[in-house]
Amino acid sequence: MTALGVTLTTRSDDASVLVVVEGEIDLSNARFVEDQLLAAITNRTLTVTVDLTAVSYIDSIGMRVLFALSSRLEVAQIGFKIIASIGSPARRVIEISGFDVIVEVVESDS
Amino acid sequence: MTEYPPPLPAVDRLRDIHAVTDAALAHLDIEDLLGELLERVREILHVDTAAVLLLETNSDFLVATAAKGVEDEVVQGVRIPVGRGFAGRIAAEKRAVVLDQVDHTTVLNPILRDRGIKSMLGVPLLSAGKVLGVLHVGTLSPREFTNEDIELLQLVADRIALATQARLSETERSAALALQHSLLPGRLPVVPGIEFAARYVPGEAEGVGGDWYDVFTLGSGSLCVVMGDVVGRGLRAAVVMGRLRSTLRAYAITTDDPAEILAMVDKKLQHFEPSEMATALLMVLDVNRDVFRISAAGHPAPVVAYPDGSTSLLEFDVDPPLGARTPRRRRTTEIPMQRGSVVCLYTDGLIERRGVPLDDRLEMLCVAVRVEPAEDVCASVMKALVGAEPPVDDIALLCVRISNDGPGLPLVLDFAAEPSSLARIRTALRHWLRDVGATEAATIDLVMAVGEATANAIEHAYGPAGGTVTVDIRLEGADAVVRVTDAGQWRDARGHGRGRGTHIMNTTTDDFRVERRNDGTDVFLRRRIDR
Repeated sequence: MTALGVTLTTRSDDASVLVVVEGEIDLSNARFVEDQLLAAITNRTLTVTVDLTAVSYIDSIGMRVLFALSSRLEVAQIGFKIIASIGSPARRVIEISGFDVIVEVVESDS
Repeated sequence: MTEYPPPLPAVDRLRDIHAVTDAALAHLDIEDLLGELLERVREILHVDTAAVLLLETNSDFLVATAAKGVEDEVVQGVRIPVGRGFAGRIAAEKRAVVLDQVDHTTVLNPILRDRGIKSMLGVPLLSAGKVLGVLHVGTLSPREFTNEDIELLQLVADRIALATQARLSETERSAALALQHSLLPGRLPVVPGIEFAARYVPGEAEGVGGDWYDVFTLGSGSLCVVMGDVVGRGLRAAVVMGRLRSTLRAYAITTDDPAEILAMVDKKLQHFEPSEMATALLMVLDVNRDVFRISAAGHPAPVVAYPDGSTSLLEFDVDPPLGARTPRRRRTTEIPMQRGSVVCLYTDGLIERRGVPLDDRLEMLCVAVRVEPAEDVCASVMKALVGAEPPVDDIALLCVRISNDGPGLPLVLDFAAEPSSLARIRTALRHWLRDVGATEAATIDLVMAVGEATANAIEHAYGPAGGTVTVDIRLEGADAVVRVTDAGQWRDARGHGRGRGTHIMNTTTDDFRVERRNDGTDVFLRRRIDR
């Protein structure tokens, strides 16, 4: 699905969901991103991976979506992992906001 | 029933007809004019009813426009298809029809039947052989219309047709002009580093045509520049132009590939208006990458003036016009955008002049387009190619100047306090930072900090009525200094995790301050750009 400035692509099997995000996340589309992420996850999902490699901008409102998602996944006992390259804008925000302390952040999906 | 006096001698009656077009009627609009004329027709011919139906534009229906003795016709908006009923038959056969029996077999309109009309006579309103409408009269007592009556009514009809045609063209011309003016952008968008100027001149011969230009920004921060020309003239062309313009804008929101946008506009045109044709040129300027992507549908290529003084027609593949029913795939060409150059887009009205070879006119255009402020370029092009001679065809001209101001000059951006402004602010900021040689890390941090400050202002400074946000960026030594200003009162953040933005601004900059004033809030950000 594409909204202004951002595209989300979901690949999933029964147990795992991978959402690849491309573009920029800010106040204008954070709600859309949140809705898409929640729609991609079912009750049978065991792990969720969000790939932010192709995200060139994410602000604190975008991070709020990820924080909220992580607490909901924790309650539902669903694993959560973020992919973000070191030195990228997304990785920088993740580190500044301390998100990497509560969620596993990896360089690539391996 | 009316008692008819003996008919007047033909000469007297003809004198009466001259009254039908006297000067006193000149100021009336079409409905009042027809009403006045019908009253006179009723007197001259001694009939009880008189009505004019005019052919609707773009349809095959006659619409009751004025009536005397059968006013309900107009009030109820009677519509008669050409070819059917009494009036429809007159329009289809383009000749007078006499009825001595008024019932459902001869007359479609129940108002005429219910009125108790016994005899009818109708004639076509013809202008240059084309049916403009129908004039008919009726009597409540049986009457045999004579050949003289028919000739007389046709004579009146011809005068009515003449007057109507003149009024219609005038109304159509002013409607087309009003439409054209309402659709051309009143103010071109303000984009840092890019300057626009435009001209539109309606053609002398047939007034307004279907030329249009448009400039707007996309969510991605790219800039769309459009120039187009609908084939045909007058109100119809202006209406089609209006539709094309909004169609193009609508598709431009979904993709920023010019060929793809034009392909969809083409598809829409061919589906909904298969008889229309238009040329169009679409340029998408990507200020982040200093390139523009261009796609043209049968439209003349822009002229570009370069900072080294050279001028040339832009070379790229031009695809067929919109509506031309060609299955070919449309193409987009990517062309480097040279700082300091001027791009001039136009419609063919500018370069076509009877008796002058096109190449000569293009040569004149190339000479006139120079590296100067956009307004000056527009003025010299119009002076050189139009001069004092009114153009036959309408002309649209749009000049775009890509500034080459030295890097590091202060950048001041005014934006509506709306989420959709954020991407544009980031685009302009990245552009400025790249020009001053900021490192990647500095760019990431500053874009992030300014993003937080502007998002804050957009989210918290104003109520639903909205406002503006100003971003002022300047270089002080090795520091970028940014001030984000709004004229609102920040309310307390709502929801959880709202302190994160402040933390981000603190961490990504060397200095971060918020100053609340009585009339708004300033956020100051400072960060080195070399590490």
